[in-house]
Amino acid sequence: MVNDLASIAGMTRRAAVGGLAAAALGFVAFGPRGGKERSDGRIVLDYWEKWTGLEGRAIIRIVDEFNASQDRIWVRYFSTSGIDQKTKVAIAGGDPPDIVGLWNPNIAGFAASGAILPLSDLAERPEHAIRLERYAGAMRPMMEYKGKVWAAVHTGGSVALYCNKAHFREVGIDPETSLRTIADLDRANHLLTQVEPDGTVNRVGFLQSEPGWDNYHWGTFFGGELVDGESNRSLLGSAENIAAYEWVQRGARRFGEGDGIPDADESRNALLRGSSFGQLQKFRSGFGNYDSPLNAFLSGKVSTVAQGPWLANVIQAYRPDLDYCVVPFPVVDSLVDPEHPRGLVNADVLVVPRGVRHPEACMEFIAFTQTQRAVEYLSTVHCKNSTLADVSPEFVAGHANRGLATFAKVAGSSNAFRCPHTPAWMQFKDVCDTMFGDVWTGKDAAATLVKAADAKAQDVLDQSAAAGRRRGRA
Amino acid sequence: MEPMLPESGLEGRNRLRQDLAGWLWVSPWVVGFAVFMLVPIAMSLYYSFTDFPLLEGALWVGTDNYRRLLGDADFWLTLRNTVIFVGVSIPVCTVISITIAALLNRSRGRDFFQAAIFLPSLVPLAAGAIIFSWLFNGEYGLVNRVLATVGIDGPPWLLDRNLALPAVIVIGVWGIGQAVVLYVAAMQDVPEQLYEAADLDGMGPFRKFWNVTLPMISPVILFNVITMSIGAFQAFVVPFMLFDRVKGGPDRVAYFSTHYLFDNAFAFDRMGYASALAWVQLLIVLAFTGVVFLVSRKLVFYRGS
Repeated sequence: MVNDLASIAGMTRRAAVGGLAAAALGFVAFGPRGGKERSDGRIVLDYWEKWTGLEGRAIIRIVDEFNASQDRIWVRYFSTSGIDQKTKVAIAGGDPPDIVGLWNPNIAGFAASGAILPLSDLAERPEHAIRLERYAGAMRPMMEYKGKVWAAVHTGGSVALYCNKAHFREVGIDPETSLRTIADLDRANHLLTQVEPDGTVNRVGFLQSEPGWDNYHWGTFFGGELVDGESNRSLLGSAENIAAYEWVQRGARRFGEGDGIPDADESRNALLRGSSFGQLQKFRSGFGNYDSPLNAFLSGKVSTVAQGPWLANVIQAYRPDLDYCVVPFPVVDSLVDPEHPRGLVNADVLVVPRGVRHPEACMEFIAFTQTQRAVEYLSTVHCKNSTLADVSPEFVAGHANRGLATFAKVAGSSNAFRCPHTPAWMQFKDVCDTMFGDVWTGKDAAATLVKAADAKAQDVLDQSAAAGRRRGRA
Repeated sequence: MEPMLPESGLEGRNRLRQDLAGWLWVSPWVVGFAVFMLVPIAMSLYYSFTDFPLLEGALWVGTDNYRRLLGDADFWLTLRNTVIFVGVSIPVCTVISITIAALLNRSRGRDFFQAAIFLPSLVPLAAGAIIFSWLFNGEYGLVNRVLATVGIDGPPWLLDRNLALPAVIVIGVWGIGQAVVLYVAAMQDVPEQLYEAADLDGMGPFRKFWNVTLPMISPVILFNVITMSIGAFQAFVVPFMLFDRVKGGPDRVAYFSTHYLFDNAFAFDRMGYASALAWVQLLIVLAFTGVVFLVSRKLVFYRGS
């Protein structure tokens, strides 16, 4: 009897184990998976993009329109944070999305390692091909790497100077006509900055540390470049870049030392000297996030800020009453050229990772996003200038960004500044960011810090080149 | 003593069946551990000897990564920052958590306060970092508002190179709930007779705490110090969130080893170098733990030993 029970218990245990194992195998073999098949037989493409909120809804509308416009392809949109890093992991893991929205500085690294496909080879039909001549001047080089087109630009922007017109009226300066040179900006900064007798900072005309996104671009307004692509040499230590970062350092040190700009009664310099870098940092610590009403420019804490066209959307959302204008960022006297302003230009780009199953279908979708209608719709909602050379009158007439003409002019300028095309860009940028932080906090003289950063940047470029040679790249 | 009997064939088969059944039941964990831990650990060791940019295959470079690491100023900077963080935060957290546990041990409403102190450790680190970024805000932050009520002009905590690291340490203190719970449980376990004996010897409360309580909870202190130190060596989320504008804060005083490892792996495309950093970090943590164990031999008292 006991043995019978034991054998029944044994059978039950075996049955349970067997059942569990069978269930596990069944789950592995037939369980749910991120399938890409649709019952209507359409090719399914996964599209990863960085945008959320208003910007995300705009691109989703384009995706929806594409899906409705034909019955062969179905695009699925996935909003993805940290998209460049996640794309790398997905490609390395052999399961990439079909289309990814990256930033233009990513292209060199992805292209050099063969992680993305050259778009010039993918289009099966002529109308899906990317034609560079359609794009605004500064956009074209951002789509290329070593003679091939690797990316399509779907939105882009340039950086210019937003000015709070009410603040400028207080000090009797017209920003649209009187901000051409760095000296003009310094003078306006001197007048716009408000410091209390106890050293408390209430307002600053211009801060090089705000918003702190592009700490590497100050040299361009002094005539500097970052990298000589031909010789793979860092140019960070050039006299122009040193002058730029000395100017950055003066922007911080004037709190405590004064800025030396003559006053009628020297009262402003006295107030600046009575303040300190600590007071400035305390003032800065009250700045809120970019996309919030506590944004330093929106809250009136700074009178000017170097930003892209996207800031206009934030202004519309939180301070629609703000009276502002946008002018090209000032330059040193010798570089003033109103027809060819200077400024950083960057772009959001679409790429096709290696290993996708339907590259020609990807190109069909990308071609749809590159139509003038799609580009202008996306740029309008994002408050950006168009990335195309030809712009429709409706686009200009219906655009909410007051600085549209300025941003478009910088984007079309022969003096526009782009991030260097190097696979080591992220490390190079890191060197610049660290150097900027040290310059700003006054760790050492700006010239010393820039030269040290130049040596480090050269080491980064050399290591990248050596890694390329190990893999047989020129 | 009973004589050893040879196993019959039937008993052997039964034993084998039992062993197999045992392995089968633990197989989900074993397979999971092998696939998701053991294999990646072995692969990271291999990758640490390669040039592996993630988007391309790994190329064997021997000990290049380890040699380069010796001359890497950023590696030494982040290691120094991490050691300072561990060296300051662990003693601070330990002293505060033992003090709180001692206060709670014999107080009324112990369960409530214990739960209240434990609660913050349930808050995700990222959310906690955002909360503290506002508490430490120089202009609007609650910390400076409170200081202002007693006439102190609070500093810009997160933008001051001398205060950024202490701010990160304070956030660490916020998460000591688990340690406090363990210390309270250990204190509850101290035999009452020892305190009675101490009373007969005429000891005051402080001497009783020093001579009875601390020795009796010393195994728990050792456990907490080791687990908290391992966590502190891997600090990443809080400084990453807190200093999102300037990496590591002013002068990069809160740029820690794990953050540098992350940058190399996912931002700089140097997975091979990042793997070498990970292995060096592991060796440092192992050495630290070994030293703590050695020191503990004279300081930790196990009941019945």
